[in-house]
Amino acid sequence: MLRIEKSLFTLLILLLLSWAVYIAKDWPLRASIIILVLGSVGIVLSLVQLISDLISRTASAEESEGIAFDAPALKPEGRWGNLEIWGWILGLYVAIHVIGFPAAVPLFVLAYAKVYGAGWGVSLILAALGGGFLYGIFERLLHVPWPAPLLWSLI
Amino acid sequence: MLEAAINGLLGVLTPQSLGFMALGVLIGSLVGFLPGIGGPSTLAIMLPFVMTMKDPYLVIALLVGMDAVGNTASAIPAILISVPGSIGSAATILDGYPLARKGQAARALSASFVASLLGGFVGPLALLAALPILRPLVLAFGSPEFFVMTLWGLTMVGVLSGNTPIKGLVAGIVGVLLATVGLDPKSGVERFAFDQAYLWDGIDLVIVALGLFAIPECIDLASRKTSIAERQEFGQGFWEGIRDGFRHWWLTLRCSAIGAWVGFLPGLGSSVADWFAYAHAVQTEKNKESFGKGDIRGVIASESSNNAKEGGGYIPTVAFGIPGSTSTALILTAFIAVGIQPGPDLLTKQLDLTFAIVWTLALANVIAVALCLLFIKPLAKACFVPFYTIVPLIVVFVFIGAFAANFSSYDFVALLAFSLLGFMMRRHRWPRPPLLLGMVLGEKMELYLWISTTRYGLEWLLRPGVIVLLLLVAASLFYPMLKQRRERAETKAAILQGKTTAKESHAQD
Repeated sequence: MLRIEKSLFTLLILLLLSWAVYIAKDWPLRASIIILVLGSVGIVLSLVQLISDLISRTASAEESEGIAFDAPALKPEGRWGNLEIWGWILGLYVAIHVIGFPAAVPLFVLAYAKVYGAGWGVSLILAALGGGFLYGIFERLLHVPWPAPLLWSLI
Repeated sequence: MLEAAINGLLGVLTPQSLGFMALGVLIGSLVGFLPGIGGPSTLAIMLPFVMTMKDPYLVIALLVGMDAVGNTASAIPAILISVPGSIGSAATILDGYPLARKGQAARALSASFVASLLGGFVGPLALLAALPILRPLVLAFGSPEFFVMTLWGLTMVGVLSGNTPIKGLVAGIVGVLLATVGLDPKSGVERFAFDQAYLWDGIDLVIVALGLFAIPECIDLASRKTSIAERQEFGQGFWEGIRDGFRHWWLTLRCSAIGAWVGFLPGLGSSVADWFAYAHAVQTEKNKESFGKGDIRGVIASESSNNAKEGGGYIPTVAFGIPGSTSTALILTAFIAVGIQPGPDLLTKQLDLTFAIVWTLALANVIAVALCLLFIKPLAKACFVPFYTIVPLIVVFVFIGAFAANFSSYDFVALLAFSLLGFMMRRHRWPRPPLLLGMVLGEKMELYLWISTTRYGLEWLLRPGVIVLLLLVAASLFYPMLKQRRERAETKAAILQGKTTAKESHAQD
């Protein structure tokens, strides 16, 4: 399953590069030179990578060698794995749109800490920290104009 | 040059600069000893704030100060709980943790701090020593040489920065192409903008950095949901460790030099500096059988190199605008945003700023080591902070930081898109640093290539400097691939030989 997913990801990159080069070929040379030169190289390389992904029997044979510059992905715990945190991130995104930044930030921090086992005291301190940071640095110091929440327009 | 050095020092020693440096050191140290939160993620989170600052000295004090000390505090969890705070202290575990298990954690920690301090001085000294050589070299370069230099930087990072060189190169190319998004300032062509005004100015690097690095780290941290390790005691030998640090000064110096050299080469970075230095110590020191079982020299070798590497990493960044690592790529982004121009300018007109970097690297290390020595026990307690206290705060900071980039709701969409890309890249072991570097270098690469082609046609390819640099590009492209292939063939041959021997002995039986 992971091998198919891996190959699909490589295929996606190959398609993106091919599309970029295809689109850029009609532009003046000034705007397209770097895309045509490097994009073509990228297409060839990603094609090689795709073939390598498809024919390699073991997923990590080649990857176990050499220097690992990027940290390896950790194995998620539990049934839902990474989906849980993606849900939280998307939840914050929706909350920002619906109730606005100033309310969404402390609420998100409080809910997250509480759900995963923090006591009320710690959760409230963390929420105050998140909210205080938002208010102190961004609202008072940097005067950031927050986007108007959806709820306001409904009310 | 002396005047620039004095001006640089004066710029760094203002109360404001010192305050920002102390803040940077504090954040860098905190991030350093918290496993799971990488230096690049924190630098990415800091970018939106830093870009509102006007004074380049303050930006240098904060970001360089933060970057310089990440590896100092990362030795604390590496020694105490066998989990490095950052990837640069991985080799420290080999001897640091056995020392802690023997009840000598305090000795290992104090020796690592002294080694970090000494290594932290060698890095800026390397940068200082490189200046007289780099100045004439950079000034002699034209657009063709600069184009090939940027290409070299990209291939080095691409080939060396991952276990699969092809993935690294493709990621770098994708980064360069992402840098072309928006209106082309010369021809006015709308490139990959889908008629969206939001994309006309291009994709903000801050959002890309936050999405690629900060969110995937958070996802890892949140998905793991486990406490790091059982508690470890400090043990004895604090002062002995300090004496160890100075007693092995020659080893420290050699390993620091290795670190500075590794830092200078784009793409290698601290992930290998400590291993190179450790391997050097094992190869050259006497009584090597004690390495890996709790030898203080193993700790000193690793910790001196990873701090010296930071100074070395600024050499290509300052001279050619080619960052040596993800952290320097992010710092370079902030530099450009506040008007610090790497390349010839930073070696001539803005030389005092280069000296400010040198002074900051040295001073930040002193502050960090003092901080670690003074607050070692409370600092170490932070290693045991549960995930639910860190994750929500980081996610919130990332969202705020992304919004502060353009004050647009589309920033969130871009953030989520790059978070997904970063997550997928990490999941399928595509190295992310080349993509970021490609984005940083993309604009310059395009400009240099265009100037070279319009001014010289294809003749620029025949310039001696270009030929030499192209040979370096070819060497950095093919040497690691050939080496990897040879190693693979050797391993296969060894396995086959093993099987044959086993069959023969089986037949004899």
